[in-house]
Amino acid sequence: MSEKDLQKTENTAATERIRNVKTFLPRVDIYETKDALFLIADMPGVDEQTVDVELEKNILTISGRVENGRVQDYSLVFSEYEVGDYERSFTLSDEIDKDKIKATVRQGVLRLELPKAEKVKPKKIAINAA
Amino acid sequence: MKVRNLLPDIARKTREVDHPFYSLQREMNSLFDNFFRGFDLAPRGLAAGVFSPSIDVKENDKEYMIKAELPGVEEKDIDVTVTSDSVTIRGEKKEEKEDKDKNYYYMERSYGSFSRVIPLEGEIEAAKAEAKFKNGILDIKIPKNQSAKAKGTKVPIKAA
Repeated sequence: MSEKDLQKTENTAATERIRNVKTFLPRVDIYETKDALFLIADMPGVDEQTVDVELEKNILTISGRVENGRVQDYSLVFSEYEVGDYERSFTLSDEIDKDKIKATVRQGVLRLELPKAEKVKPKKIAINAA
Repeated sequence: MKVRNLLPDIARKTREVDHPFYSLQREMNSLFDNFFRGFDLAPRGLAAGVFSPSIDVKENDKEYMIKAELPGVEEKDIDVTVTSDSVTIRGEKKEEKEDKDKNYYYMERSYGSFSRVIPLEGEIEAAKAEAKFKNGILDIKIPKNQSAKAKGTKVPIKAA
C-alpha cells in the first residue's frame, strides 16, 4: 500500500470555514439497484448529531463536523491522518424521489438511500396475444 | 497492481477526486485491484485498494494514545493485542453483500482484513491498556511502565 492511499484527500473546493480546520472529501461508494441509488461515505469521527445532509435544488451536499483531535500535553509520535471536517457535493438527476431520501450513520459511515421516482422505474409491459 | 504509483505524485494530489482523467484512472485501478484480490495474489494489507487503517500515535509522560480510523468496522471485528513493546490492531472491514444487482458508479471505499503492528518505545503496562471504539474511531490508551526498572535508577557517583 502506498502512502497516498492512507491519506485523505483535501476538499479544496469547499467553502471557507469559520472553524480553522481542514475539510476532506469523504470516500464514497455509489451504486444503483433497480429501486434506488445508494451512497455510502466513510466519515470516521462523525455521528448523527454532527453529520448533515442537504439537498438544494438538485445538489446533494453531505458534510460532517469532527471535533478537533488535538489533545493537550501529548506529543505526536507518528501521524498518518489529519482530523478535519468532511464535505462533498453531488448533482442528482430528477430521477430521485427527493421526499423519500433516507440517511443513517453507523460507526462513522454515512449511508444514504435515494429512491428512484416512480416514473423512471423500469416497467415491464405485458404483451397480449392479439 | 501499483499502477497509480507510476503517475507523478503532485498530479495526483491535486483534485484527484473530481478530475475526469483521475476518476478514469481510479476506475481502472479498482478494476485491477478487484481482479487480483479474487485470486489472493497480493499479500493482504499490502495491495492498494485493500483496507488499511490510518493510525495516529501520541504520547505524554504517563501513557501512549493510539487512534485509528476504522469507518464501518464493527466492534466485534476488531482485535487489539498488546505485548510489552507493541500493539497490534487486527480486524476486518466487511463488504455488504445483500444485493447482487448492484451497478457501481463510484467505488472509493475499500474493504478487507487488516493487521497493523505499532512498535512502541520503552516498556508499557499491557495489562492496563484500554480501548474504546466510537463512530469509526478506535482509541487505545496504554500506560507507560513507571517502575524503576523501566526508567533506570540513577546511581550517585562519589568523589574518591
